[in-house]
Parts: sequence; C-alpha cells; structure tokens
Amino acid sequence: MTINNSGVIRLGTSTPSTTMMTAKGYKGDILLPDDLAVRIEDLTITYKINVDTKKTLKNAVMRASKGEKVRMRQVEAVKKMSLDIPHGSVVGIVGANGAGKSTLMRSIAGIMPPTSGRIIVNGKISTLLALGVGFNQSLSGRDNIILGGLAAGLTRDEIESKTDEIAAFADLPDGFIDMPVRTYSSGMYGRVAFAVSVSMTPDILLLDEALSAGDAAFKEKSFHRMRELVEEARTILIVSHALATISDLCDTAIWMHKGTILAHGEPGKIVEEYLKFLEVGTLPSNLEDM
Amino acid sequence: MSTTGSGGNKPKRSFTPLIQVFEPHKAQTPPLIPYFKEFWERRAFALELARFADKAEYLESRLGKAWLILNPLFLSLIYFLLVTVLRGGPNKDTGLSTLAHILIGIFMFYFAQNIISDGAQSITAGGRLILNQAFPRALLPFSSAVRAFGQFWPTIPTYFAVVLLGKVFYPKTHIPLADLNYLWAPFIIAALAITAFGLSLIFAVMNVYFRDTSKLLTYTTRIWLYGSPVLWKPEMLHGWHRIFIYINPLGPTLAATYHVWIDGVRPSNSELIGTGVWVVLAMAIGTYFFTSRERDFAVRI
Repeated sequence: MTINNSGVIRLGTSTPSTTMMTAKGYKGDILLPDDLAVRIEDLTITYKINVDTKKTLKNAVMRASKGEKVRMRQVEAVKKMSLDIPHGSVVGIVGANGAGKSTLMRSIAGIMPPTSGRIIVNGKISTLLALGVGFNQSLSGRDNIILGGLAAGLTRDEIESKTDEIAAFADLPDGFIDMPVRTYSSGMYGRVAFAVSVSMTPDILLLDEALSAGDAAFKEKSFHRMRELVEEARTILIVSHALATISDLCDTAIWMHKGTILAHGEPGKIVEEYLKFLEVGTLPSNLEDM
Repeated sequence: MSTTGSGGNKPKRSFTPLIQVFEPHKAQTPPLIPYFKEFWERRAFALELARFADKAEYLESRLGKAWLILNPLFLSLIYFLLVTVLRGGPNKDTGLSTLAHILIGIFMFYFAQNIISDGAQSITAGGRLILNQAFPRALLPFSSAVRAFGQFWPTIPTYFAVVLLGKVFYPKTHIPLADLNYLWAPFIIAALAITAFGLSLIFAVMNVYFRDTSKLLTYTTRIWLYGSPVLWKPEMLHGWHRIFIYINPLGPTLAATYHVWIDGVRPSNSELIGTGVWVVLAMAIGTYFFTSRERDFAVRI
C-alpha cells in the first residue's frame, strides 16, 4: 500500500507521458499530459448545509423575528487533493460515510465545482451517481431514456438508436420499454439506469453505488460490459461499499477518509486495510497521523 | 489525438477530443459565456422535457389537454359573474368588454403564473437529474416556461372565438377583432414571459432553500392576481394610486394588454417603459441569483 504524501498521487504503474494537450477557451494555457483522463490539482470542496430540522420560509421568518440566524454548518468534503488518473484505469474508491467519495465523483463530473483547486477531464463523461434515470414515473422507460440522454448532451437520433440496445441489456421483458416506469420493479429500474450509463460510450464512467442493481446474472453482465469498456482503454471510477466488487473489478483503489486520500494502491491490499479499520474502528497505526 | 491507456497495458484508442476544466466560480457565478453557450446547445433537452412533462400530466385525463383551455375559461366566467354582481348587474354596453378583458387578462396572468409556479418547483422536482448530470440548471425553469407557452397559445384562438360570438349578439361593441395595434401583442406576450421567467429563477432558488416557497406562491399569486389590472381596468386608478400598476412586475405589461386587446390602441409610453424596466430587472436579478446559487443545488436537493 502506498501512503499518501504531500505530492501529487499518480494512479497505476505506467510511465507518465511527456506529450501535453492544451485546453482551449480557458484563461491561460492549461496543459494536460495526453495519457491522463483526469487530473485533480489541489482540490478543496466545501459547502454549507442548513442543520435546521424545518427548512421552511416560515421557520426562517420566525427565527429572524427572534433575532436568530438560520443554523448552518460548513462541510469540508474534500481537502487539498491532488491526483492523476491515467486513461484505462479502473479506480475503486472506498471509505466510510462522509469521507467525501460522492462529492469527489460529483466534482469530477462537473456537478459540484471546486471551492479551490482545479479538475481537468479529458473525454466524454457518463455518470450514474444517483439511483435511477429518474425523471418522471408516469413516462415510459423509452421516454426516460431519451430525456436522460438529452440531459447528458446526446442528440435525439443518437439516443433513439440505442434505446432497444439499452432495453435488451437491462433484460426488460417484452414491451416493458414502452410501459410507465412506475410499473417497473426496483431491480428493473436500477438495471435500466445502469444500461443507460454504460451505453453512452463514455470515455470516463463514474459509478456511485450503482452495481447493486439486479441479480447475480445481471451483475456478471455488468462486470463483463465494464471489462469491455476497460479493454477499450476507457476509464472507470467506482464508489462502492461492496468491497468484493472493488477487489474483483478494479486495477487500483483509493481509500478516502475525512476528505483526504488516506491510501492508494493494489485493490486487495487497500480493501484489506479498510476492512481492518471497519472491524477495529481505529486507523492502522501507520496511518494515524495522516 | 490518441493516447495509451496506462492503468495497465491497454490498446491505443482515439478519445473524444474534449477537455473540460472545472475551476472555482468567480463572484460565485460560473463563467457566463460558456454557461449560456451550453444552455443554447442543450435547448433540445429543455424542449423535450417540456413536451414529456405535458404528456405525463395529461396521460390519464379523459379530457386531456382540453383542460388547458377549459380551466382558465371557467375561471374567467366565474370572475366575470363575480365582477358583474359586484357592479350591480349586467350592463348591455360594457358587459362584453368586461368579459373580454377578464378573459385575456386571466389567460395572460395564468401564463405568467404557470411559468413562475412550475419554474419554482423545477429544481426540487429534478432532484435525481441534478445529482446525476452536469448541465446549466437554468434549463429546468426554462423548460417550465416553454411548457407554459405551449399551454398558453391555444387560449388566444379561444379569446377570438368568444369575442366573435359576442359580436354576433352585441354588434355595437367597441372591442376590435382585427387591429393593427395587435402587432404589439407578440412583444407584450414575450415581455410577460421573460419577466415571469426571471422571477421563476428567483423562486426556484428560494424553493431549494425553503421548501414551503411553492406553497406560499399559491396564495401569493392569488393576491397578485387581485392586485393586477386583470379584474379591474388600469384607468380605475388615478393620481398616485397608479404607482400600484408600476410596482407590480406584471402590472405595466397587463395594463398594456388591456389597451391593445380591448381598446385597440397602442400601449402608453409609461407602460412600455415600465414593461422594459421589469424585463431587465427580473432577468438581471433572476440570472445572478440563480447562477450564484447553482452550486448549492447538488448538496441541498
């Protein structure tokens, strides 16, 4: 296991490329080695959350009338993280709840902009960060897939050409693709969502707890599809509490703890250390000072 | 461009030549030029979302989209009866113009109300989408505005049908059926839509922070209707009381609506200036408030 230090962490074992690419349309020259899918530079993400139980205008007015402020708490979800992820990596991210895993994934997807630092992404991103393609339960699976694809930036023709393929991959019974989504079982719903995210031919696929959908056969099919994506040198980042999945599927893993990368390296070893932490409840002695 | 996968010994493959850089927002707002460029590029999503939302709402309704016309039509008739009773009975000379005024006023006000109310709920309703995809969030209230326009335009032929029918029974009525000043109508409708869209951006953010905002809007818009020149004529206010038309974001536009549709005259200069001021104010404040809070949506939904 490699212990984090103050420098940039580069995942994988390959030699860094010296050929640089330039991001156009940004202030100054932003350079990125051409072998990298994602570069994270000194990333910090903080946000404020309202800790009031009643998040209503009425409550805010009542508090203001008493001279009280709305109770807010600042969350420092990711702290000064620097990381290089080469193309073709399958990165597993483990960590306890509140470690900053989902926030990191959202920031790579461009959903949550940094508070400080920078993220450079090279390639088309597809995400499955919240369960379900989820737009409207009254609409059919086909309609929801079209909306999901359009939101992801695809054209209608591109999506329509994939809907039957998605339905087949998701193992939907005959005709179900044109039935309202509210008639789907939770398994079917999850399978469609997963099928959509892997069918968008992404360069970078971000999955947050998305592999729990479906039965063992679908899980095997999902793994197979992800291996295909990896063989095409596409990059996959997986957040999962299913540690066996991380060990089986990933070629490198990151252990996040309170917004920082505590350790990274070979998935089996990272998972082993993380499991010890879960059982004992304290950090391994060599990581306590991190 | 080609790269070598380096997580292992991966084959060479051409990547989509797309480098995206995510940096902190300056003054809390994203870079506005790329933001609006992306907004424009993804407009197909907003249009389809509007179409599908309509489809879902009227999927199981027997009368379907007919309700889009029937609802404001019945409401106009109820208000017409109410106003007529309050005035002490029907007037042969002004009855039709009162009905026509209430009709076009309600149609226009409901158009603005739908943009504001649906837009206010668009962010909280788009929860999974916001957690899953990066796109300009203003597309969601914009989609609500598109949908509201789709619901509004069929009411215009309905208005003409009612006026045409009224003219058969009251041929001496002064309401025009065709007039050159009707050329002002598209501008007035566009101004109303833009002002309402700007306001919807403000209420959409408020609804993320305070979930009872949309409930409050139900009552606020009702009072707003009574305070707008929809059930009463703009000329009923005199002197300094006319300020109540101009401090209302929809007031000058609805007063202009009355003059164009019922009197067949051009809007007054003060109505045009008031309309322009509210269009600019609503869009400027709405856009800044919305874009500066967009980052919070993913953690507050």
